[in-house]
Amino acid sequence: MLFDCTTELRVGARRAAPCLIVVALVAGALLAAACGRPPAGSGPITLVFKHAKILGPTDPVGDLLRKFEALHPGIRVKSESLPWTTDEQHQYYVVNMEGGTPAFDVLMLDVIWVPEFARAGWLLDLTDSEPPAELAAHFPSAVDAATFGGRLWALPWIMNVGLLYYRADLLDKYGLRPPETYDDLVGQVRLIRAGERDARLDGFLWQGKQYEGLVVNALEALWANGTRLLDEDGRLFPDPARAEEALAFLRMLVATGLSPPWVTAADEELTRRAFGNGRAVFLRNWPYAMDLLQQPDSPVRGRVGIAPLPRHAHGARGAGSTGGAHLGVHRHTRHPEAAAALVRFLTSEEAQRVMAGGVALNPTRMALYHDPALRSGHPNLPEIYRLTLAGRPRPVTPYYLMLSSTLQPELSAVLVGIKSPREVVRQSRARMAHMLRDLR
Amino acid sequence: MKAARAARDVLVLAALVLYAVPFFWQVLTSFKMDAELLSLPPLLPESLTLAHYEAVWAKSVMPRAVGNSLGIAAVTTAVAAVLGLLGAYALARLPIPGKGIILLAIVASTAFPQIATVSPLYLLMRALALRDTWAALILANTSFALPLVIWLLVGFFREVPEELEEAAALDGASRLQTLRWVVLPLTAPALASAALLTFLFSWNEFLFAYTFSATEASRTVPVALALFPGVFEVPWGDIAAASILASLPPILIVVSLQRFLLRGVLAGALRE
Amino acid sequence: MKPGRHGDRRTALLFLSPALIVLAVVTVYPAIWLFWLSLQQRIPVFGIARFAGLDHYQFLTVDARFWNAAGVTVAFTAASVSIELVLGLFAALALRAQCNGRRLALSLLLLAWALPAVVTAKLFEWLYHPNAGLVNFVLGGRQLNWLGDPGLALPGLILADVWRTMPFVALLCYARLLGIPAEVYEAAQVDGAGRFAMLTRITLPLLRRVLLIALLFRTLDALRAFDLMFVLTAGGPAGTTETLTVYAYRTLFQTMQLGFGSAISVVVFLLVMATAWLYLRALGREEARA
Repeated sequence: MLFDCTTELRVGARRAAPCLIVVALVAGALLAAACGRPPAGSGPITLVFKHAKILGPTDPVGDLLRKFEALHPGIRVKSESLPWTTDEQHQYYVVNMEGGTPAFDVLMLDVIWVPEFARAGWLLDLTDSEPPAELAAHFPSAVDAATFGGRLWALPWIMNVGLLYYRADLLDKYGLRPPETYDDLVGQVRLIRAGERDARLDGFLWQGKQYEGLVVNALEALWANGTRLLDEDGRLFPDPARAEEALAFLRMLVATGLSPPWVTAADEELTRRAFGNGRAVFLRNWPYAMDLLQQPDSPVRGRVGIAPLPRHAHGARGAGSTGGAHLGVHRHTRHPEAAAALVRFLTSEEAQRVMAGGVALNPTRMALYHDPALRSGHPNLPEIYRLTLAGRPRPVTPYYLMLSSTLQPELSAVLVGIKSPREVVRQSRARMAHMLRDLR
Repeated sequence: MKAARAARDVLVLAALVLYAVPFFWQVLTSFKMDAELLSLPPLLPESLTLAHYEAVWAKSVMPRAVGNSLGIAAVTTAVAAVLGLLGAYALARLPIPGKGIILLAIVASTAFPQIATVSPLYLLMRALALRDTWAALILANTSFALPLVIWLLVGFFREVPEELEEAAALDGASRLQTLRWVVLPLTAPALASAALLTFLFSWNEFLFAYTFSATEASRTVPVALALFPGVFEVPWGDIAAASILASLPPILIVVSLQRFLLRGVLAGALRE
Repeated sequence: MKPGRHGDRRTALLFLSPALIVLAVVTVYPAIWLFWLSLQQRIPVFGIARFAGLDHYQFLTVDARFWNAAGVTVAFTAASVSIELVLGLFAALALRAQCNGRRLALSLLLLAWALPAVVTAKLFEWLYHPNAGLVNFVLGGRQLNWLGDPGLALPGLILADVWRTMPFVALLCYARLLGIPAEVYEAAQVDGAGRFAMLTRITLPLLRRVLLIALLFRTLDALRAFDLMFVLTAGGPAGTTETLTVYAYRTLFQTMQLGFGSAISVVVFLLVMATAWLYLRALGREEARA
């Protein structure tokens, strides 16, 4: 391009303009390149810690990392955030770790990814990093979810369980107790809406957008109806009739207006905000919402209660899906001991106490739920503890993501009425059978 | 008569301004304060703010992404221009066996869907350990830039009268010298057009950049925009500011270098 | 053919081979590899790499999601291209009649075309916001859920695509219109032809070839479109905006099923090339007739 310019200048100055712009752009690019290159690392060990942005008014992770650095001179921790949605985070991890080059050392994992990443050989074996007594302090389901092939691949960090939130003031007004069955819930919604005569008051909010959250809601609906998603042999929808009933119920909620139509495009934050503005009677969400609903400027402060999710006629009891985040170490990290030390530090009792005290991040250590200092700030902790023990994990299988991404559009089709529950169950089974043929 | 014409001109311009409203709305959004963003009956804001631009420039990954995009687009353009120039000249002027088929194949490859080449390219980049580097994207962008440049330039070269080159040959110039001193000055505007189109397409490219960039630091502008982080809810104001930043080079090219851009677009289409 | 000079052949190879080598590596080789990949079951996450023959293609014939994606692709292409052609022609005619401010008019028009597709996606995502979006406001404050309602998502996507690609069609027609000398119209006026007759008898026939070319480019682009739908709706809700390209990409990089995803990509590839071939034949017949 440069030799072009000398000729151009000879021919006519007017034509130089585009050429000059190109030269400027190239020069700018080279300048940016020179400034943009990361400096070669040397000196102290730098660990890269990838984690999702923590929802809440404050972020305790930064302080914890500084404390770790103070305890371990010679180690610096660089914190990098992940994309916003769990599906994007998963894709980010898969695309990166599949390539082989570790751009990060410690990673925050959604609990559902641990078996998959372990099977793929991307995680460092952490079985020997914690004594069994320490591990016993965590919720058993959290430890089980991180165990694959008899080895431990990640340490539990944050715990979650699906809950039913309800407007205690409205239920009290009509002399109602939190519903035990979904029929009760439907009846209560109708009663309250008839009484309140508020056109803007919605009934039951949950997450129906086409993403992982929809699979969670559908799972809870299946469990409530006494069936499950996968059986021991890995067959999808082992009891098709009950699965269809459960899905039909979800569709009914949307079709009859018990849940507003935008539920089919709603995620946790959208529903939490609507409920927090007083626009609904019931909400299905994770425990983090409670702290946000109890903020000083929240319109529903002091008027929200939590309860176990209801069940259907066939179900023995309703169960919330457990979830949460674990911390793992990349298999090919250059600093395995330092990374494992960071993981142990962040999952230690002090660290989890700090996180639980600040924002709505529930610990995986059971003892902390009975800690008096924490309970004074979060009176719901004992209740959440009971519900977490009663919660059920999503299928612990390396193929969970494949399962989820296959089911998401199908479930969404049921909710918006494009396909019938029967079609969805039948087609999903056919697809999964094809996908899993090789993966035994 | 003249008044009617003038009125009609204004009307057409007004219609086009209306057509560009989606973009102008985004510009307005980027200057609106957060509190005023989500309520619509007041269309115009009470006060303007630069907070979103500050947030995007100081706290997001956009500045780095702009550097990446500029660099990758510039190098892609340079590579495509040089290789395309030489290749197109050869195809237009020099004896090559199977020239017709080669040219047809090159033109046909401009129709290749990106989704078709992305998975093999992904495996290739992985094998060459090039993922997350500029080189990966430059190579991938070249896959659509180089055929385009060759296609455009072959047509232009054919328009240069052969007598000029023959005269240069009689004076003892080699092919390279002929290309450099005789043909190039005449087709420089065409080359500029092809280069501008390449730069534009490279800047706008999303699929390869999204697939091949692993870390935040290596993202290009479209990818950074698509993966713009939000905490509580979508930060519409910040995204609007980032969108405007992402649009600056394309707008610059379209407004100030219109003539060259048009020449390139039309040459490709009208020269079948 | 004038006699070539000594060493021309060598020069030719020297000039052409760098370009050919690069193209072979980044275009030809991947295209061939794609077909080979589509015959394998390849899932790197689980270390699976085995030959599967035509298994994937067999599955595609009964895969409801594939046929849905194919339907969406065809519907999107047909609607988008036909609307663009009409609007683009209209815009070109208006531009042609413009006396002043042509450069400004072209700049305003081309703005939409020059923006990255991701920017357009974010633009329209904001415009379609149920509460704070300009579209709902203009429609009288109705709370339409454009991107969440299965009936509205595809039209919303098509509208966004038409907005950003209509200028290209307008540009092609405008350039061709510039080449029609004014005398042709003056002669027709002398013969007593009205505006409509001039349009249908003179302008449209002369634009026929350019319209076919625009149709070719736009159809190919619409068939292989990816950026806009991926960022705007990600194929949702319920797969109503999931085109074949989005389906292929999600299979390839969200579940890392490289073999199966490649099979879908092969279908897109063949669809695009077949369409290109059909159009070029039609264009060839146009040439013969002219």
